Amino acid sequence: MSLLSKIRDTPVYNAVDRYKKLIIAFLLIVLLFVVGEIVLETFFSVGQILLTVKLASFIALFGLCQMVVIASGGSGLDLSVGYMATMTAVFTAAIMDGQNSNLWMAILVALGLGIAVGLVNGVLTAYVKLPPLVVTLAMANILQGIINAYTAGKNITGRPSPVLQIIAAKSTGMFPNILFILLIVTPIVMIIMYKTKWGLKLFGSGANQTAAYLSGVNVKMVRCTAFIISGTLASLMGLVLIGNMGIAFKDMGSNYVMPSIAAVVVGGVSLTGGEGNYVGVLLGAIFLQTLTNLLVALGWGDAGKWTGFGIVLFVLLIVYVSNRRKR
Amino acid sequence: MTVLEAREIEKRFGGVVALDRANLVCRQGRITGLLGANGSGKSTMSKIITGVYSADAGEIHYHGKTVRYRSPNEAKLDGIAMVFQNLSLVADLTVWQNIVLGAEQASGLFLNNKAAIEQSREIVEQLLPGLDVRRMVHELNPGEMQIVEIAKAISEDPRLLILDEPTAALEQAQVKSLFQTMRELVKKGVAIVFTSHRLWEVMEICDDVVIFRNGRNVADLDFSKDVKDPETIVSHITGEAGKAKTERIRRRENQEIVLRVSNLNYGSFIRDVSFELKRGEILGIGGLAGQGQHELMLALAGNYAGVAGEVELNGKKIKLNRPASAIRNSILLVPGDRQLEGLFLGHSVFTNLIFPKLGLKAQPLFTPENKYRKEAADIVDVLSIMTHNLDMPVNSLSGGNQQKVVVGKWLAFDTNVLLLADPAKGVDVGAKRDLYDYITEQVSENKMSVVLYASDNEELIEHCDRLLIMYEGQIVASLEGDEINDDAIVATSMRVR
Amino acid sequence: MKNNSVLKRLISNPDFSRLLILILMFVLTAVLQRNFFAMRSIVRNIDSFMPLILMTMGQAVVIISGGLDLSVGTALSLLTCVLTSVMRAGVPITGLYALVVTFAVAMAIGAINGVGIGYLRIPPVIVTFATSFIWLGIALFLRPTPGGETVDWFQAFYRIRNIETAPAFLKAFGEIIPPSLILILIGCLVWWIVSRTRTGRYIYAVGGNSQSAYETGINTAWVQMKACMINSVFIFLTALFFVGQNGSGDARMGDPLTLKAIAAAVVGGIALTGGRGSVFFALIGALIFSFVSKIIFFANIPNAYQTLFGGLIVIIAIAASQIYTLSSRRTGQESKLT
Repeated sequence: MSLLSKIRDTPVYNAVDRYKKLIIAFLLIVLLFVVGEIVLETFFSVGQILLTVKLASFIALFGLCQMVVIASGGSGLDLSVGYMATMTAVFTAAIMDGQNSNLWMAILVALGLGIAVGLVNGVLTAYVKLPPLVVTLAMANILQGIINAYTAGKNITGRPSPVLQIIAAKSTGMFPNILFILLIVTPIVMIIMYKTKWGLKLFGSGANQTAAYLSGVNVKMVRCTAFIISGTLASLMGLVLIGNMGIAFKDMGSNYVMPSIAAVVVGGVSLTGGEGNYVGVLLGAIFLQTLTNLLVALGWGDAGKWTGFGIVLFVLLIVYVSNRRKR
Repeated sequence: MTVLEAREIEKRFGGVVALDRANLVCRQGRITGLLGANGSGKSTMSKIITGVYSADAGEIHYHGKTVRYRSPNEAKLDGIAMVFQNLSLVADLTVWQNIVLGAEQASGLFLNNKAAIEQSREIVEQLLPGLDVRRMVHELNPGEMQIVEIAKAISEDPRLLILDEPTAALEQAQVKSLFQTMRELVKKGVAIVFTSHRLWEVMEICDDVVIFRNGRNVADLDFSKDVKDPETIVSHITGEAGKAKTERIRRRENQEIVLRVSNLNYGSFIRDVSFELKRGEILGIGGLAGQGQHELMLALAGNYAGVAGEVELNGKKIKLNRPASAIRNSILLVPGDRQLEGLFLGHSVFTNLIFPKLGLKAQPLFTPENKYRKEAADIVDVLSIMTHNLDMPVNSLSGGNQQKVVVGKWLAFDTNVLLLADPAKGVDVGAKRDLYDYITEQVSENKMSVVLYASDNEELIEHCDRLLIMYEGQIVASLEGDEINDDAIVATSMRVR
Repeated sequence: MKNNSVLKRLISNPDFSRLLILILMFVLTAVLQRNFFAMRSIVRNIDSFMPLILMTMGQAVVIISGGLDLSVGTALSLLTCVLTSVMRAGVPITGLYALVVTFAVAMAIGAINGVGIGYLRIPPVIVTFATSFIWLGIALFLRPTPGGETVDWFQAFYRIRNIETAPAFLKAFGEIIPPSLILILIGCLVWWIVSRTRTGRYIYAVGGNSQSAYETGINTAWVQMKACMINSVFIFLTALFFVGQNGSGDARMGDPLTLKAIAAAVVGGIALTGGRGSVFFALIGALIFSFVSKIIFFANIPNAYQTLFGGLIVIIAIAASQIYTLSSRRTGQESKLT
């Protein structure tokens, strides 16, 4: 056996090969911190890192919505997550009105809204076979319209229940509480996706819908369910957002749509579906937030942020996704 | 004058030899026919000449110079045109737009559509008078589409024209027109290579015939000198009985009928098919490629929601309009194209092996990992699947081992009827033997019933108790026991007998 | 007998139905809008329809070639910002510079999208999603808040009827043929020319079956890139109009147009899978869309609900059109799973 094949057989090589996308994502984050430290000298500090992680957690949770939909295949994508969260935040603000007593009702409303919107998205994409991009984009518009209609002429009243504020905004010691939520959610997600029959069906539908169908899987139902899950999660994120900000306002969620998709791409999740590692999405989210912080610290502002995002996403797409025609 | 000479061509696909020092000579103004059974290498030869595949060894001389094309486009620039069976038309353009695609004439900036329409009309009139060249291709039936393909090839004024089974989709009258056009071309000095499974066509239009078998030329008949006898030709295609006849295991006759299919219909692919499958029997489906065998297997697996007809399993009527219903009735399919239909290439061997279990109603929410790992390991053992471990991605396995995974995933199921759609296609000899050993064992021990479609007649001969021959969606012959031999299969497939 | 079958074929022809719907919408709007036929109203209507019409036609070209462009809205915004950043009030020559520079930027936008879609073969949805943020970022950099400068002669063209010192015949000209209409005609001319060239034919071929086109020797990547650049021409024309009318550039003005352009194209018969549809019918789709919006406006639906209705219309329009367009094509005889 040649030296090369001997190396290929070692467990270390196999592990590196399988997780290479995660490793690259991690290295990118390190790179950013190094650059930031060189340029700004105070970039790499515990406080900065924790703040980054806190904000990244929001992106990561929205990224979970995208990952589920993208993994189910069929060019799945959910552009309605932003306004979904905003709508829930706006509606439940008045319900909670700063009290803990109505929190349960708020949660129920959030679930109901999320399931309803997700169901519409799912039916239109999986059963009526409209392209997910257009459907979810239109849905985002509709939700925006509903919010406009609801808030027409009046201020959005209501404040989140204190419990929500503790979860979303406050910290225990130096660790932001949302981080704990994330740490709980992540293993649950990984277990569901890799160890349950539903998770395997999801990946199967995305990897090869024909093979999945011939094995007896109802691919349409799986994809519809993916959208329901995405909608529900996004809706719950609305509660988290209002908990974090203290009030609800009309554009709360729309700034998260792009980063949620970008995090998925950076994390190495295949856009055609069939595979996905949530840890990758986490790293992607951290990378994006770090990039934002760096750009803001450099004084580039909004313009720099969007341009930077766009370019980074474009470059990563070239690296991960491009598909030069093989001769 | 020799237009093209291919010498000592060798080509392998994985472990399978497609061409073994094969030769072909094409002469100006002559029509050379290529004949051979499925998998004999004739299609591969055409594809190597036109640059779709590249030969592993051998040379091709075109008009005296050595050539090695890397794409059909390069061959086209040199004057070699080919008409394939899989259509290369753009359905949303019109007939004339397709014919001139890539070679449009322009006066200055603008295209000269008038000239294009005229030119197309001329060519099409010869082939299929009355076909309006302004119609959209997606409105045409398969026969008309094939004519347009041929017209497109001819419009490029080729010096060598290769027609790979052009008549498969054509009706009698259209074939006659095509032959007329071919004769005109030949008068202009074009060399033509013509492939068909219909013996009468080859005998009518070809000047000489090259017969392939197992990747080699076995006969070169010149029709101006040699006698045209169909039986002789058939025997060249199938080969004399120089091979030791494999002992066929006589299975004990069991008259219990497991599956009864009546008047199955699906579009033009399956026309009024009826047959019975006995318990413990291996029923073969044979015939020329593309006569509906693959579709029949898919229909039995519940893949077509719109299939018409009645199916009875063990006396009970069942509906086969979803794969899940077939699976629940323990009618399991090993699909023909493993990469497209049977495997999740990026996923592990383990995931692929246990996937079908997920469709069962009784499946627990959390997949019992340990139990399934053991079952998967058992399957790997039983079928001798060569893989480092269960977590290797399945696309790292060889073709044969991939196929074993496709079969293996059903192993843990109680099977009533196993549908095999060309299970050994592209699989090496060792893996093939393993697969069939396993299947025949299951049949004798557990009285599993099998419907086997194979493109290689040898497999059918070796394993089937009964063999149904399909032609254009219908069952045209039924062979039993000792009647199943190469001669009979080829002859009935080609409708000679 | 004969008349029946002709009639039947006419009705089941989707293009004919679209014309019918257009006429219906036209009539409804005419009924609801007072002074619909007054010259002033006509001009104002054309002015308000024009952006969507041009954007839809450009988007249609990209979709036919097999792509999709989500960045058209932010690209439009960017072009308006470039125009108003290069122009300096009181320095007439900068108007010319602005035109040249902006056109160059438009071509660059098309080229970058084209490289992503055609050469790199990244799914168009994702790659234009990414580039849309690049355009947005640059636009915000140039114009963090709406503003900028224009030169007099640039705006004069759009306001000719308001300028006292202009000669009478030019004023009358401006009344009857508003600049927006001229820009639409330019757009139509551009496409008319392209559709008669090799590129035009290849755009359909590549969108219809890119594998077959490739095997015939067509450079599919280059064709798709050209389609993106043709789209840029339409966006450029729209930008001219906006700056001419408003005198300023705005980094966010184009956002709502992206989805509408796609939806209008689908309503006009462009299949999202590519290879089918007519750019001129896409124009009709945009007209139908615009008339429906006007009808909603005149139906006195409260301002607050208009965004909502906008989104609903998009979904209904796309669903209906997609189903209609797909069903009019004869189902293939190939053996297909599911």
